[in-house]
Amino acid sequence: MAIPRYKLKRYIVSNSLAWLVGLIWLIPFIGVLMASIRPYEEIVSGWWNLHPFTLTIQNYLNAFNHPMFPISQGLKNSLIVAIPSTLIPLIVASLAAYAFARYSFPIKHYLFAFIVLLMALPQQMTVVPLYFLLRNLHLLNTFRGLIIVHSAWGLAWIIFFMRNYFSMLPTDVEEAAKIDGATDFQIFYKIVLPMALPGLISAAILQFTWVWSDFFLALVFLQNPEKYVATQRLPLLRGQYFVDWGILTAASIMVMMVPLLVYAVFQKYYISGMIGWSTEK
Amino acid sequence: MNRPKNLTPLLFLLPALILMVPFVIYPVFKTIYLSFFLDGKFVGLENYREVLLSPDIVNLDRFPTKSPPWGALIHNIVWIAIHLPSTVFLGLGMAILLRREEVKGSSIIKSIVFLGMVIPMIVGGLIIRFLFEEGAGVVPAVFKALGIERLAITWTAYPETALLSAILGSIWIWTGFSMLMYSAGLASIPKEYYEAALIDGANRFQLFRNVTWPLLKPITIVVVAMTLLWDLKIFDIVYVATGGGPGGASMVLALQMWDYFARALNYNYAAVVAVLLTVLTFIPALWLLRRRE
Amino acid sequence: MPRRKGVSLFLIGVLVFAIVASGCISPGEESPTSTTPSTSPTTTPSPTETTPAEKVTLKVIGPWSGAELDAFMEVIKEFEAQHPNIKVEYKTYRAEDLSTILPLQFESGDTPADVIAMWGWFIAEMGQKGHLMKLNDVINPEEYVPGILDTVTVNGDIYGAPFTAAAKPGFWYRKSFFQKHGLKPPQTWDEFVALLDQIKQIEGIKAPIVSGDSVGWPLSDVTEHFILTFGGKELQLKLINGEVKWEDPEVKDIFEQRLVPLLEAGYFSDPIEWTSAVDLWWKGDYALYFMGTWITGMVEDPNDLGLISLPGVKAMVLAPDYFMVPKYTEHPKEALELAKFLATEGQRVHVGTKSGKLATWKKVSIDDYWEPMKDVAEVVANVESAPDLDDSVGGEWQKTFWDQLKLLWVQPDRLDEVLSTLDAKFPKGG
Repeated sequence: MAIPRYKLKRYIVSNSLAWLVGLIWLIPFIGVLMASIRPYEEIVSGWWNLHPFTLTIQNYLNAFNHPMFPISQGLKNSLIVAIPSTLIPLIVASLAAYAFARYSFPIKHYLFAFIVLLMALPQQMTVVPLYFLLRNLHLLNTFRGLIIVHSAWGLAWIIFFMRNYFSMLPTDVEEAAKIDGATDFQIFYKIVLPMALPGLISAAILQFTWVWSDFFLALVFLQNPEKYVATQRLPLLRGQYFVDWGILTAASIMVMMVPLLVYAVFQKYYISGMIGWSTEK
Repeated sequence: MNRPKNLTPLLFLLPALILMVPFVIYPVFKTIYLSFFLDGKFVGLENYREVLLSPDIVNLDRFPTKSPPWGALIHNIVWIAIHLPSTVFLGLGMAILLRREEVKGSSIIKSIVFLGMVIPMIVGGLIIRFLFEEGAGVVPAVFKALGIERLAITWTAYPETALLSAILGSIWIWTGFSMLMYSAGLASIPKEYYEAALIDGANRFQLFRNVTWPLLKPITIVVVAMTLLWDLKIFDIVYVATGGGPGGASMVLALQMWDYFARALNYNYAAVVAVLLTVLTFIPALWLLRRRE
Repeated sequence: MPRRKGVSLFLIGVLVFAIVASGCISPGEESPTSTTPSTSPTTTPSPTETTPAEKVTLKVIGPWSGAELDAFMEVIKEFEAQHPNIKVEYKTYRAEDLSTILPLQFESGDTPADVIAMWGWFIAEMGQKGHLMKLNDVINPEEYVPGILDTVTVNGDIYGAPFTAAAKPGFWYRKSFFQKHGLKPPQTWDEFVALLDQIKQIEGIKAPIVSGDSVGWPLSDVTEHFILTFGGKELQLKLINGEVKWEDPEVKDIFEQRLVPLLEAGYFSDPIEWTSAVDLWWKGDYALYFMGTWITGMVEDPNDLGLISLPGVKAMVLAPDYFMVPKYTEHPKEALELAKFLATEGQRVHVGTKSGKLATWKKVSIDDYWEPMKDVAEVVANVESAPDLDDSVGGEWQKTFWDQLKLLWVQPDRLDEVLSTLDAKFPKGG
């Protein structure tokens, strides 16, 4: 057989298959987008019907300003929770991770294994006592309370992640600094952290995305509908009398926009973070 | 003396300990403790017997001959049985396919497939619900066009199909992860291995079986373990796509725990389910840990 | 070596101590209902100290919006006029959403509002769990329609303040439509069926009776009308308390002989979203619409409205709205004032609006009513009033009832299955 023909067949098959896969995976998103920018009547019998096709932003407005569960308030609340819940564990975990990476101390290995186990732990295992603990501390229905819970929960995986990252950094600069008389903390703060920046960014992005996307913890610790974060409001956004896909999809897009944008801008860090987090060096 | 040196790591660890002990470690032990009580009275393993034998968790009357509900535990197992092999092999296949040099725009396609992992799971669940809704959703429409009326319904509203729709949707969401991992794994296999095997006269299948697959084993372990964990802990998707219904036909362990906690207000039973869930997740977690030490 | 061991022991000791210490910060979790009364640890920013002359803002939650809300706001305005130091803010939340939100919120010692409208059985349940203020001091049972306080009273403690009620009296029609086609209201069952047939023949009519859809309550209203007509108030009550089963011959008969034949003959439309149904029915696509009395406030010309009850009906559902006052309110005194007003003078104001509701407070007279409602009020006054069936049973069964009826409407041949499901899911032990 002639070589060009063989290559052509492969070319066609591979590309068709690949693009078919891409199309199938993209269809749900196309559907959501369509439903959000067209009026409900056009969606109810299938968004793939392109006649009639009316563009409207009414769904977004309805979702944003919903009388009972406005997404505007939801987005704000999500930000209020997600930002501190990223910064706090990042700092605290980095400190702890450094200890694991650079020092040896008793029970270190057991402690670290314990932390790894904590990563697999389901959140269900902590919420019941946490609920009562926060209630007694008057932290239920407060953003502070939820931030504390998220921060504590994020520590396990960020410690694991940053410890791996720190272990990969060369120690010569640190040793030189130690000889020069720098304190441990100065070394950490001035030398190691800047070197670890890519790892820190990856961790920050992943943690932010996960806190933003969180639903369960918000459900447990925020009961006042005005405090609900964006994800909590989505299931409640049914229309007045029926399931209004226009509002639901518009709201979904607004809520997923943030992690999508973060992913788009920081894709490199996101991917390397995901891979690094699941594999140990 | 060595004291100052030994104290430094402690100082670094201190903030983390301060946060984790009351807000992670203590609750874990307290939950275990709670699972042995009922309304303040010690009942030993009674709760476990009640919960584990209840049809909410394992319904052997209906499994496997009748339609769901089969019990939350069985639903999770079924979920794993369908979801795990599907995403592992689909992800692997996609990773291989998209590495082919002749494929144009493979990074775009990879991003598309991976999007499911980036969105919040609650949105994923809503998308699934939308996908399977009669009239507005693609899946029933496809079956309608194929003439299969029985599946041209709202899958999430019927006990026979609710669980399956959630599982299929979760495959759409999670395959991106396995594809990503395998992509990275494939990229790290040195070309020389393939070249050596080709020189020895290996064909494509032998190449895969003897070179690629064994070298991918560490990746496979991670993918399998992570997928198992995800499948066991699944909550958001089911909450919004089916609510665990109809009539409990798509209930999963995490949702059942929530039900006990928030609806029945039975904190002890909730603790039991949480412990059960944790014990189950320790299986893949410990396996993962051992394989790597 | 000993030093290393010492440090590790110390670390472990600290850990254990910290774990136990955290435990001591949260005693008493086994009693899930926190017993903190009115001055609660909420984080709502409104002022906590209230002296008589200070401005207080109360939050009220109700399910109403649109025209129904306008009517309710008139009641609020009257209250504010009589209490110049109290301002009232209203928020809309549907009862279905509140039923998932409130239990958790109450458990956490918090409330979204000072006065909240909800289903009677829900109020009773919350009261039983200790989340609500008792209203015995502001509600005098003798001033109310007998039986109206039953659903919201637990062991003598009144938790719900009754507001106005909707009656579900029968099938509404446009007098002009009947005149145009020479139709007459029926006096007997046979005349009723004949009328339906007559209407079906009319050109342009999609179905004689339009069925409203929502979560399902319009269908349950129709069904209960049939039960009350052919089984009377006693049957309704016995079904509510579980004395009679849905599969009992008496009940099954009503379905098989009366309702199902009409469904199978196509006299009922498929369920259509209930507010759109009003428009379609008014327009002439349908002739009859079973609805509550509030429909009088929803149509352009309420004087064109006519009412057909099933011939022989002995009782009608009177479904009041109830308000509850959570214990966690920051203004208990003012909240109770508002609850009292809503249950008394507020009713008088409300029936004068276009709400289409009826008073449950006996001190309201027929003259207080909005003109088009005066006749309806007379009709309702002459029959026995019965409680709404699914509102009284409540809980998960209410949803089941609605779901099963939706099923029955589109597949009337599955009657047996529907009835047996209703029995299977009925709450045991009342």
